[in-house]
Amino acid sequence: MTGKVQHFINGIGIISPQKNFDNQQFLTEISSYHDNVLNCVTPDFKNYINPIQLRRLSRMLRVGLSAAIICMRDARVTTPEGIITATGYGFLEETEKFLREVFDRQEKQLTPTFFMQGTYNALAGLVALSTKCMGYNNTYVSKGFAFENAMQDAMMQVENNATANYLVGAFDEAASVQYIINSREHHYKREHINSLSLFESNTPGSIQGEGAAFFCISGTPSDTTWCVLKDLRITYKPENAETLIKSLTEFLSDNKTSFDEIDAWISGIAGDTERDVLITTLGKSLLNKTPQIRFKHLCGEYCTAASFALWLGASVLKHQYIPEIVYASALKIPQELNTILIVNQYMNRNYSFYLLQKNQVPRYPAT
Amino acid sequence: MSERVFITGYGIITSIGKNAEENFHSLTQRRSGFGEVIILETIHQKTLPSCEVKLHDEELREATKVKTGIGFTRTTLLGLYALQEALASAQLSATEIEAAGLLSATTTGGIREFEKYFFNLLDLRQEGDFVQFADTANPGEHCEHLADHLGIKKYIATISTACSSSANAIIQGAQLIKSGKLDCAICGGTEALSKFTINGFNALMIIDPGHCRPFDASRNGLNLGEGAAYVVLESEAAVIRKGKTPLAELKGYGNANDAFHQTASSPEGFGALSAMNAALKTGGISPADVDYINAHGTATENNDLSEGVGIQKLFGDTVPYFSSTKPYTGHTLAAAGSIEAVYGMMAIRHQMVWPNLNFVQQMPELSIRPITELIQQATLKNVLSNSFGFGGNTSSLLIGSI
Repeated sequence: MTGKVQHFINGIGIISPQKNFDNQQFLTEISSYHDNVLNCVTPDFKNYINPIQLRRLSRMLRVGLSAAIICMRDARVTTPEGIITATGYGFLEETEKFLREVFDRQEKQLTPTFFMQGTYNALAGLVALSTKCMGYNNTYVSKGFAFENAMQDAMMQVENNATANYLVGAFDEAASVQYIINSREHHYKREHINSLSLFESNTPGSIQGEGAAFFCISGTPSDTTWCVLKDLRITYKPENAETLIKSLTEFLSDNKTSFDEIDAWISGIAGDTERDVLITTLGKSLLNKTPQIRFKHLCGEYCTAASFALWLGASVLKHQYIPEIVYASALKIPQELNTILIVNQYMNRNYSFYLLQKNQVPRYPAT
Repeated sequence: MSERVFITGYGIITSIGKNAEENFHSLTQRRSGFGEVIILETIHQKTLPSCEVKLHDEELREATKVKTGIGFTRTTLLGLYALQEALASAQLSATEIEAAGLLSATTTGGIREFEKYFFNLLDLRQEGDFVQFADTANPGEHCEHLADHLGIKKYIATISTACSSSANAIIQGAQLIKSGKLDCAICGGTEALSKFTINGFNALMIIDPGHCRPFDASRNGLNLGEGAAYVVLESEAAVIRKGKTPLAELKGYGNANDAFHQTASSPEGFGALSAMNAALKTGGISPADVDYINAHGTATENNDLSEGVGIQKLFGDTVPYFSSTKPYTGHTLAAAGSIEAVYGMMAIRHQMVWPNLNFVQQMPELSIRPITELIQQATLKNVLSNSFGFGGNTSSLLIGSI
């Protein structure tokens, strides 16, 4: 149901458990983790944030703001027309700190710092303040759909103003409180594994990840364009594999794209035998002839992990190359990579489809 | 982007009423919900009176017919309470509900239960009834519960932009309808009082222990409140197809950022001005066409100055009627935008302007003053409803008569 306007990804800034913040290397240096928790490989924040401001910010606000600035530098945009952020659990570390103060001090003599920094829209406000962006500003906190809601919002904004730049960002932190509490739902594996062996683990539960990723979305291509985000759709709690297959088939046919045209698909498989059933079925049926890429062994599982997949898909199209560490098929990789499909899932509840295409106009400048 | 968006139903629960009817009567009779906190356990029960919904969780559960033990927090229950009224008033069928979108706003989701069971939840050796609240630190959890309970499948989103959250839920619902992605969007917000929130605002030193006085020179902070409200938005095509008579039209909306300070608004009212301007622009009307503004008017020193200056800049010498209904309901944070959108619609339907309680003394920085007595038989065609929040978020809704 996209309009005539196309959605170009004109810049990306990502900080994740892999060293990809500099936008130079493409998964040439891989980090592995051994305690089921993956934390960001962070840049020197001083390159992005002034020292006075830096001292006042929590770790995740530093990570988020830096990712936003990396993205804008990449897109060569100084002030975007709007800022939209997405998170599953927000700044849970700060929320926990404030709660513990409330308990410890029995609701007396509290300072508001952690309360303020724990607000879900704190990053969107901070980025607006830092970029002097007085335009559109929104924050989605819809569990496994937050990033999709935010991106769809930006796509609609762009359809109304094709020359504007919208900054869309996702962030989630691997908070210890979340790890403990989600263990009650067996969200994470009982045994510790090497993160890179996630897909061979064959046990229930996944590993906890985190990251921040910002994307500059515009209706107009530029010489920094990574790719085209053709469309995006969410599917909530499909009853079974047939329902999921039906939704995906509809999504592609609405976009006049056949399965043969998909050069590779990125699977949101989480290495969780209980919750991967539908997405595994998809890989064995509808998409069994399509080269498969996987990513959650690199970034872990979190509500907005689809943002890592979007970076990965955009990178594959930009570099015309699939790194071996993410390639999960025996199929031959096509010579030219033009169309990529992402199918993500969070906790077997929130499913999303993204259709990406190589940018045809203008050509990428020689790098 | 030419299609119009109509409001075909709404539901509301606040400290001044369990439904639209009760809220209407309280508004006309100057009946406020401000008083001692009884249901939430906090040391501030007497020292920081608030606008609490005087129904225990058990009573909310019984009224909404929710089973016990399935993790419905007070936030979710208040939301469901208002949603059931909204769906009934819009007369949506089960098929229509399944194909609708649910856009729900919250500032802290289920933090009330999370803080209550914090130590139990973190100790994995403990098991018990509280386990149903295991995921309440997630703000999107309430929306999934609501969607599952009502059978909404097509689109769900949770929005959190502090005190402008539910205004943004309504804006996003309208955008989804205009872009053709949805025919029907159920949008609003829900908020339960919690220790976390009361202590957070208290630490910021912006709670008035007395009854709040919006736009008064002696104002001394806000009162917190709880409640929920949802509106049913439908496309023009859907309204025509079903032969429905809408209650109002969502004519325009504006979302902007003040980009001034993390927790304060600019004294120049930049954000307020640009949100209201954008609402008028998308609605295709001029300032002179606005008949009433339901102001954000929290009664903090900062908000009322910033908002008042913004209103003066936009309307010049001919400022329309304006008032803040916060003294009735308290500041219901994420729910404030949708609660006040409902009050805006009620104003249009009954052709009445709600009085701004507790206003006595003119603010020296402003030349404008709010309406302090109920106006009946007013002529209201267009109403603006403002919602501003931390992080610089400013939103304004333009609601028009049919």
